[in-house]
Amino acid sequence: MFCFISLRFQQPSSYNTNAKFKAVFIYGFTRYFEWPDKKKEGNFVIYVVGKNDDLISELKGLASTKKVGNQDIEVKNTLNYESGIASSIIYITPDRDIKTVTDAAQKNKNKGALIVAEAGGACKSGASINFIYIDSKLKFEYSKNAAVKAGLKTNEGFKAMATVNID
Amino acid sequence: MCKLRQIFKNFLPGILLLVSASLLAQEDAYRRASELYKTNPELALKIIDSVIVHPQTQSDFNCWTLRGYIYYELYRKTDKLKLHSPLRDSIVSSILVSNKLKPDSLGESSNKKLLKNISASYYNLCTKLLQDSINYERSLIAYNKYKEIHLLFEPKANFDNNDIQYYLAVGSVYSDIFINDNNNTAAGEIAKVALLKVLDLQPENPGANINMGLMYYNQAAYLSKTLEFGLEFDQIDIVQENMIKLAKQAESFVIKVYNKDNNNVKAMECLFYVYRMLMDIPKSDEFKQKCIERGVKFETEPKKEGGKK
Repeated sequence: MFCFISLRFQQPSSYNTNAKFKAVFIYGFTRYFEWPDKKKEGNFVIYVVGKNDDLISELKGLASTKKVGNQDIEVKNTLNYESGIASSIIYITPDRDIKTVTDAAQKNKNKGALIVAEAGGACKSGASINFIYIDSKLKFEYSKNAAVKAGLKTNEGFKAMATVNID
Repeated sequence: MCKLRQIFKNFLPGILLLVSASLLAQEDAYRRASELYKTNPELALKIIDSVIVHPQTQSDFNCWTLRGYIYYELYRKTDKLKLHSPLRDSIVSSILVSNKLKPDSLGESSNKKLLKNISASYYNLCTKLLQDSINYERSLIAYNKYKEIHLLFEPKANFDNNDIQYYLAVGSVYSDIFINDNNNTAAGEIAKVALLKVLDLQPENPGANINMGLMYYNQAAYLSKTLEFGLEFDQIDIVQENMIKLAKQAESFVIKVYNKDNNNVKAMECLFYVYRMLMDIPKSDEFKQKCIERGVKFETEPKKEGGKK
């Protein structure tokens, strides 16, 4: 006689919130640095070294809607670092060895590439910015020296944005 | 005086004859109505409505019970899916009058049967209004009427289990709506209130806890999904703060289920996502592994990212 009401469970969203925050941060960084003139031509390349499909997907979403200055954003990705890929931002995923950070920093001296990493001691190994998590929140460490060595003009106000300033 | 007595004596048989003829006429009308109620309830209704107003039959419970059944025949044909039905109201009022007239056991059982039918039809209506029409307000009216009618034939009935079942369903229907459209806060509120009612009655109810947790978790995911590129860092921080608060609320509901039953796969799956959101990598890895061992397949392979500092 009764029509029974059934309970349905919701599906948890598989959306990777951390990837989104990283992409938003990476785009935010572009407002605080000035790239050398030669990097102001052509596309603004964000180069992801390592595997993070969700982040790449977010960055591609960013590229389809936003620009850096007048430049279109282009996203490139390889599993291992390739020095031949000219880029304005290099993001090195945490699954890569810290040597990748050192290697990328050495090969990009004065070339105008902001190196963003996510590994303990990354700023001391040459990354300008290192993502960290504090109380579940995505934050970042900053090394102004590393940014200067990379050939970028820095903004003093940016130091106040960083949770930790390495130098 | 003697004259008067004589007159009375002369007229008494006539009076008695008239009274019994009238009574017989009412009994005959009752019989006709009971014969017709299945085949021609409209005519039966006209007859019974005259019977129940007649002084000689208005106190007969049988007439009122029959009236209820006649109205039921009419109601069955046209009004079953109506939330507000005067026919249904007439059934109930007829049975209530019949019950007041102290029916015999057969009459009592007939009355109970009819009230059970009405109560069940309200219940079925409340599920239809909830699941097909997605109209909580009307569904709740039907659900409360179901309980009200049920109490008429079972005054000591306990509705806790029914309430749990009903509010769980409300919670799942409306949280579905809210998750698909996070701007629909009215749906979100209905879902939360319904699930909290379940938790009031049964604090450890796994369905309510998991759905509450998922509502908070999915709301948190939505916050980050709709985060705009170009926000200032301090604004990003506020969004993160809100997302974390929601994720922690989600955790508090789901962990109760897991602690009570650490084989609950749905709880494990939720906890994996919640801890991934909170960047608690050891815990998210632990629950991911447990899910994989129990055959859960993830939409996209979850990736390891940096840990807490």
